[in-house]
Amino acid sequence: MRWLRPALALAALAAGLVNLTLIARAGDAQPRSLLYLVIAIVGVSWSFVAVGLVAWSRRPDNHTGALMVAVGLAYALPGLRLVHSPAGYTLYLLTATLPSAVLAHLIAVFPDGRATSRLQRVFIVANYATTVPLAFAQLLLVDPRRLRCPECPPDLLGTGGQHPFGEAVMAVSDLWDVVLAGLLLWIVVSRWRRAPAPRRRGLAPVVQVAVVLLVLFGVRQALRAVLSPPPPWLDGALDLAVLTTLMLWPLAFLAGLARSRLDRLAVGDLAIELEQAPSPDRLQQALARALHDPTVQLAYWLPGQQAFVDEAARPVELPPAGGGRSVTILRHDGDTVAALVHDAALDDEPELVQAVAATARLTIENQRLQAEVRAQLEEVRASRARIVEFGDAERRRVERNLHDGAQQRLVNLSLALGIARSQVPAGADGELAAALDEAAEELRLAIAELRELARGIYPVILSEAGLGPALASLAERSPIPATVAAAPADRLPAKIEETAYYVASEALANAAKHARATAVTISARRCDRGLEVEVGDDGVGGANPDGSGLRGLADRVAALDGHLRVDSPTGRGTRITAELPCGS
Amino acid sequence: MRPTLLIVDDHAGFRALARRLLGSGGFDVVGEAADGRAAVTAARELRPDVVLLDIQLPDIDGFEVLARLRDGSVGPAVVLTSTRDRADYGERVDSSGASGFVPKAELSGAAVLAVIGSGWMG
Repeated sequence: MRWLRPALALAALAAGLVNLTLIARAGDAQPRSLLYLVIAIVGVSWSFVAVGLVAWSRRPDNHTGALMVAVGLAYALPGLRLVHSPAGYTLYLLTATLPSAVLAHLIAVFPDGRATSRLQRVFIVANYATTVPLAFAQLLLVDPRRLRCPECPPDLLGTGGQHPFGEAVMAVSDLWDVVLAGLLLWIVVSRWRRAPAPRRRGLAPVVQVAVVLLVLFGVRQALRAVLSPPPPWLDGALDLAVLTTLMLWPLAFLAGLARSRLDRLAVGDLAIELEQAPSPDRLQQALARALHDPTVQLAYWLPGQQAFVDEAARPVELPPAGGGRSVTILRHDGDTVAALVHDAALDDEPELVQAVAATARLTIENQRLQAEVRAQLEEVRASRARIVEFGDAERRRVERNLHDGAQQRLVNLSLALGIARSQVPAGADGELAAALDEAAEELRLAIAELRELARGIYPVILSEAGLGPALASLAERSPIPATVAAAPADRLPAKIEETAYYVASEALANAAKHARATAVTISARRCDRGLEVEVGDDGVGGANPDGSGLRGLADRVAALDGHLRVDSPTGRGTRITAELPCGS
Repeated sequence: MRPTLLIVDDHAGFRALARRLLGSGGFDVVGEAADGRAAVTAARELRPDVVLLDIQLPDIDGFEVLARLRDGSVGPAVVLTSTRDRADYGERVDSSGASGFVPKAELSGAAVLAVIGSGWMG
């Protein structure tokens, strides 16, 4: 219906021109009354229609624009009273409350354009269902000349006289207006209080005008009900104040729009800020400032993982639609780059969001790449940790298999040999006894070697008794004198204990094999980050940190996010220190 | 009277050999158990003087069996055994309340008697 809006504009223009002609012809009316009509018909009607059409074309899905046009057209109706005929006047009286009813509807649903709460719906229904019938009742029961228009013609339906209920109906109608105004004030104020920061910026001018308007209207209706009628100067002044404030409403609406436009100019500040290649935090803050939404969150798209992540590569769950949060997907050449999670209020400002997104696109894309690299690093770190954990689990499994299988069988064999040996009668064939003794000795050595091999694969004492006893056992079996200076009394996560043990074990083996050391000291102490393992010897030093043993150890420590330091000046011993964070 | 003995080990081959060794080594082997829970039940029923208890069992380990035996009124002398070394268990053997430890490869009636000492009859 592309013709609808131009047609409505023409209708409003025509109605206004007709009204102006009528005003010009009604030269005999009071000057105050004429001023009233000019404001009502030209000031209010045209301004509402004009601004309403702007709002309508800007946001066709929001009914606010259409409602504003309806208010504007309704405010052209009072011109009917200038048609000096009973029919025109009757029509005027019948529709006299329509402009304020439509206006109340508009204020009640602004800025969404539709009722979103139960209170709003109840108000709108009550508003239309009562004001129009009350106008009709007044028409039937009240002398039109009492309706602030002594010079008006009689209406068609009126009884012509003073009905005994007439006064009461007018008072009830006025008081009901006060109630409706109060209810509307409550709706407006409570919505304002609930509104998030970005929405408040656009709402502020309109809400301020609406509050003043409703207070003035309420006071006027209350005075009419109580004083029936109030002094003409007071009523007239309030009338004028109400209409003048009403005329300001579309202007306030425009002011709200202008604020948004000004916000878009502030995107320039964002561009300057982005020049300095801000950190992800600063970028988020800059976006929050440019959008006037402190809750803005940027989520980067990782095509590899098909997921959104934050700057630290942690997964981000996008909020579902309709929860007060909205998502704007930022694209480049059709590819998703990032998502801007913001207050749903910013949906009213798609141009602002797009302008901000376009300005920040390069920076966002840069940071998306960084987030991607961080995510990949995190994946590599995690997979390295998994490989180490898998290796340790395998070592445990192999040790367990040796223990349950080969070791147990050899032990059984040894016991069977013992039984056989005990069956050889004393003094019998000496060779058989000697062969059995020899076999038993070989077997004893084989069992001992196998036990040592199993222990090298995985030291059971570590899982059975913890790091302290494991280090003590390691020191005991060391070929060079070793002492454990410190070890934690409590248990630590298995992967920390295992890594600490292998650090000590490898350092001890190096000291024995290469360093020609005579004494080694092992210590494992709790530190701020977790555990610090230090192995120092008094050997020749000069250890190569890139040798396969130490390199492998460094990799293993790094898999837990730890650090390995090798301090080995020639001739002054070697000190190997591993820091193992317990939180990883 | 020969001291009565219960053998607890999950390897049937080892149990059979241990029965022969200890039977001829001065003990009256009154029962066998293949896991920890069966060991606790058997000990309560048979009230042996000595329990030869493997540390590595399929359900609860030997230390746990020992703790459960100590909780009840049954108070046999317990000799822990394993294919592993005593040192592999750190201080656990000493603090377990067992009479002692005999490596499986060195099992014999004499070794068990040496561990429980002359006071085995309580």
